[in-house]
Amino acid sequence: MQRAQMMRLSDHVARIIFLICAALIVAVIIGVFYFVGSRAFLVFVLPGGSPFKDFFTSTNWDPTASLNDNPTYGAWGLIEGSLIITLVSVIIATPLSFGMALFMTEVTPRWLSRILQPLLEIFTGMPSVVIGFLGLVVLVPFLGKLTSTLGYGYAAAIVVLIVMIMPTITSVSIDAVRAVPDSVREASLALGSTKWQMMSKAVIPAAASSLATAVVLGMARAIGETLAVAMVLGGHAAPEKIFSLQSFFVPATNITKGILEDFGETSGVAQDAYWTLAFLLLIISFLFICISRYLASRSVYK
Amino acid sequence: MSARGVEQIAEQSVAQKSSLDELIRIVQRLHRGNKVALGILWAVALFVALVFVAIVVLLLVQGFTALINPSFYAASDLGVGRQIFNTFYVLILTEIILFPLSLAAAIYMVEYAPQGWFVTIVRFAAETLAGVPSLILGLFGVVFFGSLLGFHISRLTGALALLCLNMPLSLRLFEDALLAVPRELREGSLALGSTKWRMIRTVVLPSALPGLITGLILSAGKIVGETAALVFTMGVSNPSNVFSLDPLISSDTLTIHLWYVKTQGAGQIPGLTAGLANEVSAGSAALLILILFIINILARSLGRAIQRRVMAA
Repeated sequence: MQRAQMMRLSDHVARIIFLICAALIVAVIIGVFYFVGSRAFLVFVLPGGSPFKDFFTSTNWDPTASLNDNPTYGAWGLIEGSLIITLVSVIIATPLSFGMALFMTEVTPRWLSRILQPLLEIFTGMPSVVIGFLGLVVLVPFLGKLTSTLGYGYAAAIVVLIVMIMPTITSVSIDAVRAVPDSVREASLALGSTKWQMMSKAVIPAAASSLATAVVLGMARAIGETLAVAMVLGGHAAPEKIFSLQSFFVPATNITKGILEDFGETSGVAQDAYWTLAFLLLIISFLFICISRYLASRSVYK
Repeated sequence: MSARGVEQIAEQSVAQKSSLDELIRIVQRLHRGNKVALGILWAVALFVALVFVAIVVLLLVQGFTALINPSFYAASDLGVGRQIFNTFYVLILTEIILFPLSLAAAIYMVEYAPQGWFVTIVRFAAETLAGVPSLILGLFGVVFFGSLLGFHISRLTGALALLCLNMPLSLRLFEDALLAVPRELREGSLALGSTKWRMIRTVVLPSALPGLITGLILSAGKIVGETAALVFTMGVSNPSNVFSLDPLISSDTLTIHLWYVKTQGAGQIPGLTAGLANEVSAGSAALLILILFIINILARSLGRAIQRRVMAA
């Protein structure tokens, strides 16, 4: 009788411990939003800060007053950098990833997918600092020679980002394509379609919203990518003429590079400006996650 | 037959022939399109695979001279002996916290939690946390664990930041491992009168062990390669007593060292010339790749090996 009671008690205790651990993950994410968010608006209200509008429109980013006498907080150059390299790299990486995913699910012979699968998995977990290092010692000199510039800039960052996000988009797309049941494929083939018609007219539409999820997840990864991008951007301000080809080969900067390299050396209002940037990054990635959740909830085959 | 009839038949056959031609043209076009599309898919896949292989080969080739040079592993300012120690120290410290926490959370989600608002919230929180950039988690770590809890810039702060970073992935992997245990095993155990916790301990966890090990190793790969979350939480330099097990001292890892040597510290570490900095960072990159290869192979083979042993026993 006593033994049964002991068992019941330990069962209860275990249950509560497990519950706490599961709740911990909720606590962490609330903590992240609270601690980053609580510092995010200080730069707008503290003396010596900057008005809300200037922060997002001006491109004079100099919180430590190293260039002028007064610190200036115009973060648009950094934000612009993040947006441009994220968008362009996703636009280039998406067709490549979809092609790769289709190849690995619909076309490839078995032996080849056995080789490609581990390669893809290794690159999904590739440390960004390693890719950044390779970009710095191989890609930047190459681009520099090709265009007779320094080689640093958006273009190098975009190439590096493609390498970083392609495995992510590909592996999520592979799951999306695999989730489409074979009956869809068989129905399409039975109507006399060629293999490509089957893929483009039946499989891709059936997997469309899951494929969109893959792209959004890639974007979330791209905007938060730090080390790899920071190592090859190599500048401290946005290029001047943003919509010209040359601007892609001029040393530039983005949000994550700014935080990574200068956050530790600042204090006071200057540091608050970096917290604002961090919060902005957090909100953007949160939006991406919400979009991807919405898209995933609309997908027919999971 | 009249001449008119012959004419009619001839006209009909011409019309049939032309529609047949039309059909053949369509089929040919479709097949050509098919061939072109498949060709493009092959080209894309081979190109991507080639780039991936080239990246790995380039890294290994560049780091080769450092890897076979004994002074590369020295525990000095110019070697990476300390960084290797720190990398594995932080890996183990993080796993010690991460594994039980994530496993407990996964057990709750799979075995206990009723479908409802709590599960939805935890899922949403996990997905959101998985999407938070690691740099932001590093900032959170330095404020919350570093300042508020008073761990300062230390290995423990770094490990806790890594915990936040890896919990979502581990949770999902462990949940999958637990879900893979067949329902009949659970019901059999419960039918024998064991409590739920006893059932989990004696039936579910042993059968889920291979999946749990694989999940553990996969998170290890992510921990070894992480940098952005550690730059602010662990620091970029080593104290003199670096080889102690004290979790409250600051230290750097291979990834931080690689970044720091290559971008910030080239002129700041005495004796480290640009050429030497190149060699050290190339060697660190190659070493990281090798560690990740080993982890990946372990994750594939160890789970399977354990499964075979458990099944045979």
